[in-house]
Amino acid sequence: MKTKIIRKQDMTGLLNNLIQEYEVFAPVKRDDLVIFDRIGSDKDVSLEYTNSIKPPKEILFPQSETLFTCGSIGDAASIEVPVSEERPRLLFGIRPCDARSFLLLDKVFNEENHRDVYYLSRRNDMMVIAIGCIKPRATCFCTSVGGGPFSSQGSDLLLVDIGDDYIIQVITDKGSRLVEKVGVADAGENKLALMKMVIQEAELSMSPQIKTDGLKEKLDSAFDDPIWGSLTEKCLSCGICTYLCPSCYCFDIIDEVTDSKGERIRIWDSCQFPLFTLQASGSNPRPTNKERHRQRVMHKFSYCVDNYGQVSCVGCGRCVIECPVNLDIRQVLTTISNR
Amino acid sequence: MSELSGQIREAVRKLLRQKEVDLVIGFEAGTLPLHSTPCFIREQQEAERLIWNSFCDNNLAKYLGKRQEKIAIIAKSCDARAIVELIKEKQISREQVVIVGVPCHGMIDRRRAEAELEGKEILEAEENDGELTLKGNGFTKVLKRSDYLCYGCEVCFHRNPVIYDILIGDGVAEKATDQYSDIAEFEAKSTEERWRYISDQVSKCIRCYACRNACPLCYCRECFVDNTHPQWTGKTTDISDTMIFHLMRAFHLAGRCVGCGACERACPMKVDIRKLNRKLVSDVKVLFDYEAGISLDRTAPLATFKPDDPEGFMLNP
Amino acid sequence: MNNPYLPSPMRIEGIVTETEDRNIKTFSLSFLDRGNEAVFKYIPGQFAELSVLGKGEAPFGIASSPTQKGIIEFTVNKIGLLTTALHNMEPGETVGIRGPLGNGYPLTTLQDKNVVIIGGGFGFSTLRALTTFLLDKSNRNSFNNITVIYGARSPGLLLYKDELREWEKRADLQLYVTVDKGDKDWEGRVGFIPAITKEIAPRADNAYVLVCGPPAMIRFTLPVIEELGFPPERTLLSLEMRMKCGLGKCGRCNIGSKYVCRDGPVFTLAELNRLPREY
Repeated sequence: MKTKIIRKQDMTGLLNNLIQEYEVFAPVKRDDLVIFDRIGSDKDVSLEYTNSIKPPKEILFPQSETLFTCGSIGDAASIEVPVSEERPRLLFGIRPCDARSFLLLDKVFNEENHRDVYYLSRRNDMMVIAIGCIKPRATCFCTSVGGGPFSSQGSDLLLVDIGDDYIIQVITDKGSRLVEKVGVADAGENKLALMKMVIQEAELSMSPQIKTDGLKEKLDSAFDDPIWGSLTEKCLSCGICTYLCPSCYCFDIIDEVTDSKGERIRIWDSCQFPLFTLQASGSNPRPTNKERHRQRVMHKFSYCVDNYGQVSCVGCGRCVIECPVNLDIRQVLTTISNR
Repeated sequence: MSELSGQIREAVRKLLRQKEVDLVIGFEAGTLPLHSTPCFIREQQEAERLIWNSFCDNNLAKYLGKRQEKIAIIAKSCDARAIVELIKEKQISREQVVIVGVPCHGMIDRRRAEAELEGKEILEAEENDGELTLKGNGFTKVLKRSDYLCYGCEVCFHRNPVIYDILIGDGVAEKATDQYSDIAEFEAKSTEERWRYISDQVSKCIRCYACRNACPLCYCRECFVDNTHPQWTGKTTDISDTMIFHLMRAFHLAGRCVGCGACERACPMKVDIRKLNRKLVSDVKVLFDYEAGISLDRTAPLATFKPDDPEGFMLNP
Repeated sequence: MNNPYLPSPMRIEGIVTETEDRNIKTFSLSFLDRGNEAVFKYIPGQFAELSVLGKGEAPFGIASSPTQKGIIEFTVNKIGLLTTALHNMEPGETVGIRGPLGNGYPLTTLQDKNVVIIGGGFGFSTLRALTTFLLDKSNRNSFNNITVIYGARSPGLLLYKDELREWEKRADLQLYVTVDKGDKDWEGRVGFIPAITKEIAPRADNAYVLVCGPPAMIRFTLPVIEELGFPPERTLLSLEMRMKCGLGKCGRCNIGSKYVCRDGPVFTLAELNRLPREY
């Protein structure tokens, strides 16, 4: 792996350089919340953050997007798909857990038979520059689900904060081309030693929080366990855990009409909402908290393993922190594991 | 606080032992610092799980609807006020619920406490004698508890449960403060300023419906935003859709909102939902001299009509 | 790149009101762009998403057989926003179609087998497509005995009445039509599908049974089928779920890790027995 180095104060120049060429999305502070947004200059960026409140998935898979418009109701011949004229996107300063989530989203939206043109139009030329976590939170459990505070999966470049400098780990060819183009120095031996220390310290600060060995089998066999009822009784059926999840991708497709223009829109949807599975006949295969929350856990830790060969949780901890009733997925998984 | 936990457990054990109730809804320790979490207890020996502290901020009245069993609920004053409204709105009968009232000193707003630490992570929180001790890697910070209350608690004037069957602990002194000064301040702004503020707030909404789902009085079987036939509002996060959701919800709670702040605490995007709700709480108080959840006998102003009802707000808005 | 979310426009060629209560209609559609017909290759048991632009999109089983050239048929029960919009449309108007979607009935597996078809109510539409396919003269010799048991709540709710009359006359098909409750003009069978199936007792040897209908009918019919000796591997069910994308992505129609829209809607009972009971 190639490693480069850049002084922190030089990052400003680099970012402004990138803004010339890419649509750059970076963590910015809005009120008291850190979110990912398009930036116009380096001054907007706030890298001193633990993680954003909303995951960066919306940059690839927006909460609502137009699939097509049509001239008038019933006129299927007048369909128009919005064409993006935008420059390629660059995600700057995302966390390794969120970068890993893109690999799962890729599997879902870039399946051989059904390539999602909307997702891919943003994804194909996208550059991901992640920043490793020198201070993982107590709610982070990336190491329990195959990631780590400095995991490079899903990133083109990975920054490691070593005090006055960032080490730039060059992960992909695309990343390599970028660093060659902007011209940054190679990292020296002593800086690399410092980087190793920083990484080791962060990794050591994290302890395994869920037992993933045999978890899928355990979940599959515990499907009918009444414990699901008591584990989920307090759930409010809101959409926080799914909407703030970097790897939840369920959606709905709806039509809207303004004046004489019809629009077909894809919007995020949540398995936690009763309407999600309610059939027109009135029957609902997941009528209560129990079935709905079980679905979320099973989808992440069993069904996605069957369908995509990996769990669809990157251990970012957003659902743990933000659940209004402290329904903690780590506790749910541990309880099931111990059955 | 631990004293109150003990008294709650004792009361609950007795209720379950004497089979007066089938289910107890209370709080147990959460998995995160500054968090307690709702719990559901059906066996005497589980009463040990129950706790009481300054982090019991959920409104447990939310869990009362659509149940058959006889329920005991550990209710702080705003939970009790929500229960009063739910009884009046026939969502639960007075006989079905045993209210274990707990006088309340106000709950801690964990975001306010966190803001004090400039991004440092709280790993442990303790409270005693009006102090809140927060600990993390390499720091200990002691805060004055009363400076970090939830906003709804700061402006609460009914800290003793207005209705109960069993009262835990001693009553607490009620506060006497200038009511609704925050709303008066907001009202003094120009229409444009107010609209911009509300628009900015609402534009953060991600439509997770946590506000609605945490609200003890939002119990419609089908919320108007979920209705598709007819469809009252769009489902996107466009401000025109989210604004309708928040405005309509606020109006639907006019004269019913008990000001517990559950909506605001649930919101992950920190939308200032209370501004709308409290404006209506204030209007209902000024126009109809009515406060929701205080009396089982008084009909909610929007559920009744009197010839001398004030109507200036309609004729001269 | 092919965009799986784009519907192709189809013209409504004809509308048949199937039932007395006028709540079920069959729509015959043809592609505005004739070239799409060759692309839309389907087999019985598959479904498609129909759109009325501005109103939305919903999945419907294809009620016609690929042996019927030039048109594709859908039988639509008026139950929600989109189906109401469809019911209000007239011949000559345009709808959108996406598909074909799902796996369909396993035609090669059924070859040289006895086929027992059991359909209840509205669920009969894709079985009608299958029956039409099997009876087509180019296909009939590839399959052994064909038995069709079809029931509706009342005579007025029977679908495809003209076809049923044609099928009655055929010697190469055993057709049993029943209603839960008759009326003064009804001279046919009266009785619930499970009871009728038990009475007819189709033979299980070298046979497959295909079932589609309301949940209650399926629940009571399955034990009868089992008793008649059909093993779960040779019992096929077509399931219904709320669906949106039809591509196994939007997340709502799964039973365990199987998506009804992508891996189904047709499953063997043996497959279903291995999945969680969440349907």
